[in-house]
Amino acid sequence: MAAAGAVSAAAAVPWDEDRPEFKFFQEKGHYDEEAWDKLPAEEQDNALKTVKEAALERQAAVRKDYAAASRKWDAQQARYYADALNNRELKAVYLWVGSAEGHELAHKATVVRSMLDKAAAEGIKDSDAQALAPYLTPEAITQLRSMKFAADLAQKQKAGIKAKGPGSQSTAKLDKFAAGAASKMDAGKLSNLYTGSKASGDAAVELSAGALKAGGKLPGSAAPNATAAKTVKYIPPAALDEANKAKSTALTSDAYGVTLETTEGTKTFRKTADADAAIKKLPPGSVKKITFYGHGSPGMQMVGEGSYDSGSAAELLKGKMAKGGVIQFAGCNTASIGGATLNPAVGISMVARRLLYFSLPYFQDRADGVPAAQAKEQWEKGWNADLAQETSMGVKGAIVCGYRTFGLVPGRLPGVTALLGNQEATTPGYVAGKKACYQDGKEVPVP
Amino acid sequence: MTDLYYILETILLVAAPFVPVAAGVILRRKFPAAAEGAPPPTPGQKAGRLVGNLLLWCGIAGLLFIVIVVLNFKGKI
Repeated sequence: MAAAGAVSAAAAVPWDEDRPEFKFFQEKGHYDEEAWDKLPAEEQDNALKTVKEAALERQAAVRKDYAAASRKWDAQQARYYADALNNRELKAVYLWVGSAEGHELAHKATVVRSMLDKAAAEGIKDSDAQALAPYLTPEAITQLRSMKFAADLAQKQKAGIKAKGPGSQSTAKLDKFAAGAASKMDAGKLSNLYTGSKASGDAAVELSAGALKAGGKLPGSAAPNATAAKTVKYIPPAALDEANKAKSTALTSDAYGVTLETTEGTKTFRKTADADAAIKKLPPGSVKKITFYGHGSPGMQMVGEGSYDSGSAAELLKGKMAKGGVIQFAGCNTASIGGATLNPAVGISMVARRLLYFSLPYFQDRADGVPAAQAKEQWEKGWNADLAQETSMGVKGAIVCGYRTFGLVPGRLPGVTALLGNQEATTPGYVAGKKACYQDGKEVPVP
Repeated sequence: MTDLYYILETILLVAAPFVPVAAGVILRRKFPAAAEGAPPPTPGQKAGRLVGNLLLWCGIAGLLFIVIVVLNFKGKI
């Protein structure tokens, strides 16, 4: 037995790059293959035993870090990794995890770093947001899209430029306070400026049951200003909701929004944050239909500055949809292209989608030095992504619809939108495009 | 090899919308409108010119459609 042990201890160990101990030697610069082969067998054995535990620990630590870094980053992580992922860190990933993974992470860091710079300098476009979609969370992309605006605002504040309201005559006059000094006015007097009421507001108001009957008047309440013509019934104008305020006069469209149809009625939102907050407050099973309207791209629906991918949309709407409820992504290419077609317009849309979402980013990546295999894998996966189908698998039972093609909305055309006055519409109206709907991942007829 | 394949694919995809326009122009030249005093065109010549016109104008409509799609992609509309 002792002889056999002596023989095995004396056997030389060949250099093996797959073993953690050898990776450890390479990282620390202890040995390379040549130096290892020259080492006596006993010393080799001792060296392996000495570093074994440390090598395994290092391997586990690098793999854990890589797992965290390979997930989609939020805005904070994007900034952190853009700074922290230096050559040393990346070399560790190449060594301990694999060269393909290392290259992918390096590419991710390069793209995110350049987009962070671009976002601060000139803002990012829809195509940039699409390029970032595999790497960042939708919230992070939303934040990047608003970075330029925030930077400009900060610069203006630094330069001492006072923020102005709309430059109309009526608002200009608000600079001068027409009544007595504001400091000498109490709340009652101040409110009179707006209501025109001469009542002091000090007298007690009695509310009796009779006064509150239908058609009854509250004491002291003035009748609405009726028109002189008796045949014309006075209808006080309804209060504008948030989405309908401040209409644009631009020639081009800035239409986007979220429309929520629940058991309690329909609401529209321009800001995704408001829509998200409203949806979170809703009871389970109350959403009959929700329409996300804005620019779309394979795997992503944008709504103004906000954006949704299948994960964020499913998370938001899980449990909220009524039975047979519909989630409509009203954005271009929010479903896959589907099968062959004889419709030439659909064919042209397919060609355009392939060119814009595969060929263009593929050659851009190749020009940036990304290996062909990696660029191919990434964009072949991305150009035909099906947001509607993926979301339907996350929101069980709901019907999720998207567009297989570029969706043309006549009301968005420059000039037409100005004529119609719908530059800031929150719903698309008629969309010329091929719709596809899914329920639990399976295609179903359009409801 | 991968790059070559995709370059060829891109050339074909970019060329595809121009094919009906080119075919339409060729057909219109092959079957020109009847000049004054010339014998009236045969039904076959009429059909050829009609197909040429259809291909030409549908092709131009297709190109305009692509322009709109690209503008949409760039976020202009």
